[in-house]
Amino acid sequence: MQNLITGLILLAFVVILYLFLLTKKDYKKFQKGVKKSLKILIQNSIRLFAIFLIIGLLQNFLSKEAVGKFLLNFKGFIGIIAGEFVGSIMMGPAASGYPIAKYLFDNGATVSLVSAFLLSWVMIGFISMPLEYKDLGKKFMLVRNILTLIGIIIMSLIMEALI
Amino acid sequence: MKKENIIKSILKEYALEIIICLIAIILIIFNPNKAYFGIKQAIENFKNLILVIIAVALLTGFISEVVSKETIKKFIGKGSGFKGVLIGAIFGSLMVGPAYVFFPFFKEMINKGAKINVIVTSITSWAIKAPWIPFAVVLLGLKFVIFYNLLILLFAIISGYIVEYILVSLEKQKVKL
Repeated sequence: MQNLITGLILLAFVVILYLFLLTKKDYKKFQKGVKKSLKILIQNSIRLFAIFLIIGLLQNFLSKEAVGKFLLNFKGFIGIIAGEFVGSIMMGPAASGYPIAKYLFDNGATVSLVSAFLLSWVMIGFISMPLEYKDLGKKFMLVRNILTLIGIIIMSLIMEALI
Repeated sequence: MKKENIIKSILKEYALEIIICLIAIILIIFNPNKAYFGIKQAIENFKNLILVIIAVALLTGFISEVVSKETIKKFIGKGSGFKGVLIGAIFGSLMVGPAYVFFPFFKEMINKGAKINVIVTSITSWAIKAPWIPFAVVLLGLKFVIFYNLLILLFAIISGYIVEYILVSLEKQKVKL
């Protein structure tokens, strides 16, 4: 629901931008913009659908319970690494990561493990790295993701200390 | 373009997507029931985000063809300073859907002169997901959610500067990765 509402707001905003062009009678720019947008829409749709497909399959072949049970085997620093690893492979909407985090808490997982899992669930995706590589470049992708992997370990340790 | 060249360029452009489809087909043969639900979920996911996907494409096209470099630079380019970083952080935390839906948009922003650190901050603060915070509080408790999101915000801003510093110095030394 949130997705549709935000999508609608964003779309309305963009449509107003385009209408503004029309009122200024700038038809050439309007046409160019729409043409480029269509190209991006088709390309992005194909790429995104492929990603959604692999996420959908992963979610069905690796059940949430199995993932949770696997993670409960670990503690301490190894727990952080395990949480980070599983969170990076598994992908999905942020909202579906929270129930797994709750399950982990209810079953006595450490704060650092749950934090590492949640943070890498939303921040790092092995599956979306090829997209980042294609759009933003190899260096950008590598530097950003390696730094984030390190950052997640530090943040998880801080979370453990704070809570 | 010759027909063979077109096919070749499509294969190159969508190599990853073709591999994913092949995996999907193998999984369908292996376990049709689970694969069916996976595909259904993918379609559901896509339907959920279709408005965002269309809006992102239109916005990217608009910025690419209509908005001037100067305008982008003024808000999130060189000289925008911390204000630019804040714009990036607010945009990232308010948006829904996965960050990778917006990658073509970020690419266009960088082409138009946006600073790298603003883009990195925006992508990282995506993890905050402001619209979902109430849901997270119910499940995980207020204390956890507050510290968790504050840390993400802090990291998003710091990592932006670090990534930019590393990328700029790699560029200076002409290091190839």
